[in-house]
Amino acid sequence: MTKKKPSRFLSRPLEAMIWLVAIICIAGIVHLSTILLLPRLAPHTPYARLAAQVPDNTLALLPPIEAGHEILPFEDPATALAACPYDITRGPLRLRGQLAPDAPVLLSFHGRYGQTFYAMTDRSALRGRVDVVVATRDQLDDIEANDADDELPQELRLLSPARQGFILLRALAERPSLRGEARDRLASLTCEVQ
Amino acid sequence: MKLFLKITAAALTGAALGLGATAYTVTRGFGFDIIKAGPWRGMPQVPASGGDPYARAIISRSGQAPLGVAEGLGFTATRDSAGAQLSAACDYKISGAMPSARFWTLTVTDGEGRLVDHPGKRAGFTSSEMLRDAQGGFEIRLARRARSGNWLPLAMPDSFTLTLRLYDSPHSLSAGALDAAEMPQIVRERCA
Repeated sequence: MTKKKPSRFLSRPLEAMIWLVAIICIAGIVHLSTILLLPRLAPHTPYARLAAQVPDNTLALLPPIEAGHEILPFEDPATALAACPYDITRGPLRLRGQLAPDAPVLLSFHGRYGQTFYAMTDRSALRGRVDVVVATRDQLDDIEANDADDELPQELRLLSPARQGFILLRALAERPSLRGEARDRLASLTCEVQ
Repeated sequence: MKLFLKITAAALTGAALGLGATAYTVTRGFGFDIIKAGPWRGMPQVPASGGDPYARAIISRSGQAPLGVAEGLGFTATRDSAGAQLSAACDYKISGAMPSARFWTLTVTDGEGRLVDHPGKRAGFTSSEMLRDAQGGFEIRLARRARSGNWLPLAMPDSFTLTLRLYDSPHSLSAGALDAAEMPQIVRERCA
């Protein structure tokens, strides 16, 4: 018995086209899913880098930004840096302190993957006072339920996108000789779970 | 059997292309929201609401903590104003316009954002330590060997990245409006 050649029901160019479309679809799915998954899979997220240096829920000055001693990439050597990695599973976090007048300080609040959920400068702090609460949705609801009806809250309340995240404080030093002073500016702030 | 081989080959090719595209976009800093002005590219800003998934992937891979919109704007440059790759073997002059900001800094790093050690310990300039001409203009020189005026040493072996940060800048909220004429020029002078 002779082996019968299978009949072609698709022409050769059409078949090549179908394979090409399949390859492009697979490439697209792989590309998009890796882009979307990268924040969850990346081992060196800024939170991971900071949490390796500073215990959760404490504010600590980071070493001066110098070659070979950087904790985060693309940080400005003209800034003094302090970080507070946090985990608010047990309760909301409070950042408070007093800033000196007209000395540039930047405050930013980041989620686990580095996304910025709030940022402010010393200019938006009323009379230099910093009082910020970072909480989950449920914790915010609790805080609001306990608010007095006739009083406005004194602190700024922020909703954290996740239980873990970090606060970064950057104090700008206009020249290298002022870096020590810039570090001192951050030392008066504290970060603690309530 | 032949069909099985074809399917496997197609799946592998597709996966390789997809991963390649991810690596390319993430390392080259490609994203939908990235601002471009001359040789400068805005550093990714990632709001809590999610934002551009490409920007999220870029920051989580590099581990950088982006500046928030209220803090200022960051830009990086890996090419000069003529479009050629920045090389430490060449001398460069940075001058021209600077968008308004309370304070700005210009820093030299390698491509991964790390500072490179140098006996002079100078990795950048701030707006207030800059020597300026009578009109308030500035000129920064990048070179391996010392230059007069505002000199930034290039201590890395080959390519490098410039980072410009505009702190507390009114441009923060209208970042799309910045164009090349409002940003400093990076001009290559001569190469070793």
